[in-house]
Amino acid sequence: MQVTIEDINKSFGSVRVLTNVSLHFPSRKFVTLLGPSGCGKTTLLRMIAGLETVDSGTIRFGDQVVNRLAPRDRNIAMVFQSYALYPQMTVRQNLGYGLRVRGIPKEARAEAIERVGRILEIDHLLDRRPAQLSGGQRQRVALGRAMVRSPDIFLMDEPLSNLDARLRIAMRAELRRFHLDLNATTIYVTHDQLEAMTMSDYIAVLDAGIVQQFGTPAAVYAAPANLFVAGFIGNPPMNLLPCRVALCNGSLFAVDEDIKIEIAQFHGQVAPEQEVVLGIRPQDLALTTETGASTASGRVWVVELVGSEKLVDVDFGNKRRLIVQTRADSFVREEDAVRVRIPPERVHLFDRQTGRRIASKSSSPSGGSTH
Amino acid sequence: MMAGGLWRILGRAAIFGTLCGLTFVVCFPLIWALSTSLKPKSEIFATPPTLIPRAATFENYAALVTGRPQYFQSGGQQVDTGSTPAQFFTRWFFNSIIVTAGSTLISIVVSTLAAYSLTRFRYWGRGVVPYFSLLGYMVPSIIFVFPLFLLMVRLNLTDTLLSLVLGYVCITLPFCMWLMWAFMRSIPIEIEEAALVDGATRLQVFRDVVLPTALPGIIAAAIFAMIVSWNDYLFGRVFLNSLDNLTLTVGVMLFFEGTHVDWGLLMAACVLMTVPMALLFMALQRHLVAGFGAGAVKG
Repeated sequence: MQVTIEDINKSFGSVRVLTNVSLHFPSRKFVTLLGPSGCGKTTLLRMIAGLETVDSGTIRFGDQVVNRLAPRDRNIAMVFQSYALYPQMTVRQNLGYGLRVRGIPKEARAEAIERVGRILEIDHLLDRRPAQLSGGQRQRVALGRAMVRSPDIFLMDEPLSNLDARLRIAMRAELRRFHLDLNATTIYVTHDQLEAMTMSDYIAVLDAGIVQQFGTPAAVYAAPANLFVAGFIGNPPMNLLPCRVALCNGSLFAVDEDIKIEIAQFHGQVAPEQEVVLGIRPQDLALTTETGASTASGRVWVVELVGSEKLVDVDFGNKRRLIVQTRADSFVREEDAVRVRIPPERVHLFDRQTGRRIASKSSSPSGGSTH
Repeated sequence: MMAGGLWRILGRAAIFGTLCGLTFVVCFPLIWALSTSLKPKSEIFATPPTLIPRAATFENYAALVTGRPQYFQSGGQQVDTGSTPAQFFTRWFFNSIIVTAGSTLISIVVSTLAAYSLTRFRYWGRGVVPYFSLLGYMVPSIIFVFPLFLLMVRLNLTDTLLSLVLGYVCITLPFCMWLMWAFMRSIPIEIEEAALVDGATRLQVFRDVVLPTALPGIIAAAIFAMIVSWNDYLFGRVFLNSLDNLTLTVGVMLFFEGTHVDWGLLMAACVLMTVPMALLFMALQRHLVAGFGAGAVKG
């Protein structure tokens, strides 16, 4: 079942939560609504669920407009951040409630509950109450309650955010697997870009109630549509350095004091003296001993070891800092004088005024759509 | 080592002794009432007084339950003394039960629905209603009695049990509503939304999800309403006249009328009056603590 959203607006009192949101959720795909807290992603999900009214615009399931349909008539299932299990019911009753109120006969109900219990490996917990379960087990029951009815659309509102880090990673893979097995349209809300990247077929990045970018995880990562997306996607986030475009001996450069990077691939897209923001991912930077073009010298401000890598925060003076990701065994300490190589072909450019991405001549046009 | 152990035992003994003593003092009136109710007439004023009846008898209880005028006999001949309070005891007992059950039921149904509305729907004044509802408890209830009585006269309801039910609802409903409101606020709205998505109607959500979750609060509110209605004297005294319609608290006072006070009968009536509430408390006290606790912490 595909879900189409057209020009959705929503305000709570004087607070504008969503502005002209249009999105298309393809059938049987895993689509993530990603954004910082307060960006309107949960509100959008609740509108799709029918728990929130729509101020203007339309929501379609397939061809049917569902704006005024009650939640129970939408054939959806939702997993809540707090799991929202019925506290006075056993796991069995929790799983079966949706079937019971829909008048499914007892035998069919028992069968469905057993099946879901087996799949989620909670069949030994069926007679316990939610209070007697661990966080991970509750999570599974909440998932089971959604699965048991075989709905057209799964809605998930940050279902992993209450789990500890290890369990979250395990459940991430399981959720992805469930999606592939169940083959239903899934709309997933999170503020965790790593969850969005690892699980989704498509990501919709939201900020301040506006869709910033919609595309595959790879496309959104490779070609962020604007400064917000660039800073939000990727861990550690993309380095952003305000620069000015300069023309030197017929070549284009992005210049910031002593840092000077050739940006030949943006020829024709930018004009000399234009104010831009240069973006470069920490993974694309390297510490080097060379002194040639596209390098900059600075001083190591801080070094962080993150398992297999080291994050080296290099200070170039005037509060300009770039994070360089290097191998964990690279020998670098605080206060060392270092040179950083900035490969010109890996550079992203953004207009400083509008924040929009400036396309390079080499980048493919199908990088992802903006709204 | 030995000395330490001894001191600890002594300390514990002292604590237990003190607590037992305090409990005895607090319970003494009830113990004395129970003791007196079991004594034959001859023993009630015996000197020295006895705490444990020498010849325990249930004749006082029998007299109340059967309504038999036992003490108005003279020299083997029964004297017709007209109606006595004991004859009305069972009647009053049932009146009390009816009034208590009626007012509690109305209070609970209305307060639960009101609290649900106040916590779940948006409308003007929903924030202040719960707080204003408590204002009524800041003035003595005698201030309400006379306006309510005049109202009952207007409604032609004086000297009926219904007037008392309505009067008690006026007293219990605001607090019950406040208690339920505090309790309902602590119920996460997500579980209701989960039920809506699961396919339930609003009414099913209320019945299957909200009510079971709110049960401790409902029990706490019900106990409050029952205690107030069962123990009230003031409203009963003002609203009711005829012997047939009295409630226990008002009726028991009639045992004092005239020159002759039958203490044994009076104490037996008091003990019987206490039993239903005591049983109720014992059965529900676990819920009571949970109910008031939840309201207090999250409310």
